[in-house]
Amino acid sequence: MSLQRRIDWGIYAVFIVLLMVAPLVMDPFWLNRVAKYLVYGMLGIAVALSWGYAGVLNLGQGLFFGAGAYMVAMSLKLASPTSLQQGSDRPVPDFMLWNAEPGAPTELCCINKGSFLWLPFQNQWFGVAMALIMPMAIAGIIGTIVFRKRIAGVFVSIITLALVLLVRLVVIDAQPVTNGFNGLTDLGWFKIAGFEFDPYVVPTYYLVAVSLSIVLVGARLLVETRAGIILQAVRDDENRARYLGFDVPNYQTFFLVVSAAIAGFAGMLYVIVSEFASPTFMDLSFSITMVVWAAVGGRASILGACIGAILINTISATVSETEGFAEAWKAIIGLIFVLVVLYLPRGLGGLAHDLVARVAARFSPAAARELRAANTSQLAE
Amino acid sequence: MVQVALTIDGLGVDFEGFKAVNNVSMTIEDGELRVLLGANGAGKTTLMDLISGKTKSTTGRVFLHDTEITNWEEHKIARAGIGRKFQIPSVFRDLTVRRNLEVASCKNPGVFANLRFGFGSQAKAEIDGVLELIGLTEEADQIAAYLSHGQTQWLELGLLITQNPKIILLDEPTAGMTQAETHKTSLIVNNLKGRHTIVVVEHDMAFVREIAERITVLHLGQVLAEGDVGEIENDPRVREAYLGSKGIG
Repeated sequence: MSLQRRIDWGIYAVFIVLLMVAPLVMDPFWLNRVAKYLVYGMLGIAVALSWGYAGVLNLGQGLFFGAGAYMVAMSLKLASPTSLQQGSDRPVPDFMLWNAEPGAPTELCCINKGSFLWLPFQNQWFGVAMALIMPMAIAGIIGTIVFRKRIAGVFVSIITLALVLLVRLVVIDAQPVTNGFNGLTDLGWFKIAGFEFDPYVVPTYYLVAVSLSIVLVGARLLVETRAGIILQAVRDDENRARYLGFDVPNYQTFFLVVSAAIAGFAGMLYVIVSEFASPTFMDLSFSITMVVWAAVGGRASILGACIGAILINTISATVSETEGFAEAWKAIIGLIFVLVVLYLPRGLGGLAHDLVARVAARFSPAAARELRAANTSQLAE
Repeated sequence: MVQVALTIDGLGVDFEGFKAVNNVSMTIEDGELRVLLGANGAGKTTLMDLISGKTKSTTGRVFLHDTEITNWEEHKIARAGIGRKFQIPSVFRDLTVRRNLEVASCKNPGVFANLRFGFGSQAKAEIDGVLELIGLTEEADQIAAYLSHGQTQWLELGLLITQNPKIILLDEPTAGMTQAETHKTSLIVNNLKGRHTIVVVEHDMAFVREIAERITVLHLGQVLAEGDVGEIENDPRVREAYLGSKGIG
């Protein structure tokens, strides 16, 4: 293993250890907050994968996040005490009852025209499965059409951006089934083998932290496989890859689907720790914010993008709650973005690589040379 | 008996009335090195586009050995055994030189087949050989973006050698090179002779003299003449259409 890779994996290990010991120093309130930021970190990974490694700037990542969130939220809504009103033993979401036409049967199958869609979600694991399958299926369809037609660059961004807005509109519009812009609230707790994941207890934090660690290491390993390297080759020169015999759209679609699955998984975890799902997940500003996290953290670095997301959210929370900054915090965050984009085009990940190389230069010139060579591979632009 | 590697039969393309390539037929034998000559706009690059699938032909057929490959998708033509080097050198700029060659060494193009680590010791030995041949052993761990223009051209040749296709199409492999670089390129190309069937589009007459066996001259999208260097030099139609009165060189 090269020095570069050993240092990289060392940093991954340190990060994961920090995740695991965080509960020792945090109260439940902060733990719940950090769990949310870890979910954002997972979104950072999804963005880095599609933007940094596949060269596909997806401005609609919120679509996959939202799809994952809603799928699980539907199951948790049915598991909520609020869905078992008037002593009924068969769950019906409260908003459906409030909006039911007079005389409509108070059954999930037929309280309104679309309510039957909720039937399979009575099983929590159906919701969990759909939280992954739905984003992957959407990504598969988008990818196949867009990449087969050889649409690239900014046009992919425009298409994904339009799609997330379209779906957001549909979700708000389908009020009888989705509760419109109110979203799904008053959710029940996620259960595994009888254990209930109260968002404010330590095991829920670990559910998120362990999930993030697995996704992090998995994504890193994935980009180190041959397929991951070929994907980077496709990013650099699609045509060259094509004339070496690679069916380029297959690679692009595959990694878009993986990125969507990660985003969907993140959506699912977010619902578990925050107890709601809302159409704001599919707001344009949220999808663009994810891209900013990855840009600050370093889109060419899986861990960098992940840390970028966690860091920015922690800073915004702290700054916005500091007296004196309460009004100005958005300007401060904005300033950080501008500075990073201007002076650290490779983000914090790139900065970290440079620092490691410089420190190594002090001790061993040979190691430094090796590191410098590896560094430049972090996206030359 | 010598086998025919590439057969082009009445190939043509019509860009809304403009026939960039018009009814071109030729056969290229196994192991042959064929040079395509012609003035700007004669249709040389378009002919390569038609063979390699970048442009869809409107008339005619292309055969690789006995397989018809007319208008297949690019990656399928590539897998069938035709490799191509572009006029503007194209390599994977953010990957190291070795990584570039490793990508080219993948025998199986599928996504799922490539969900594993490493490229194998056989590929490594092969790649070391290619690095030596194109003279980039020293630069193996450098990022391709930082290579000089000539080195980038050689790396792209290296990609083709690693890909190991039956037929190699080279579009102006010496474009923008110094004399010394051109000479080195001719050594690399001569080294490939016999192992691959090679079709070269080239303007640089010094280079053509160093490598050429048979030459086909294109003019206004059609075949004007075919023969060895001497025959072409002395063909009055070629002189008029392309070479002027000065002759080759």
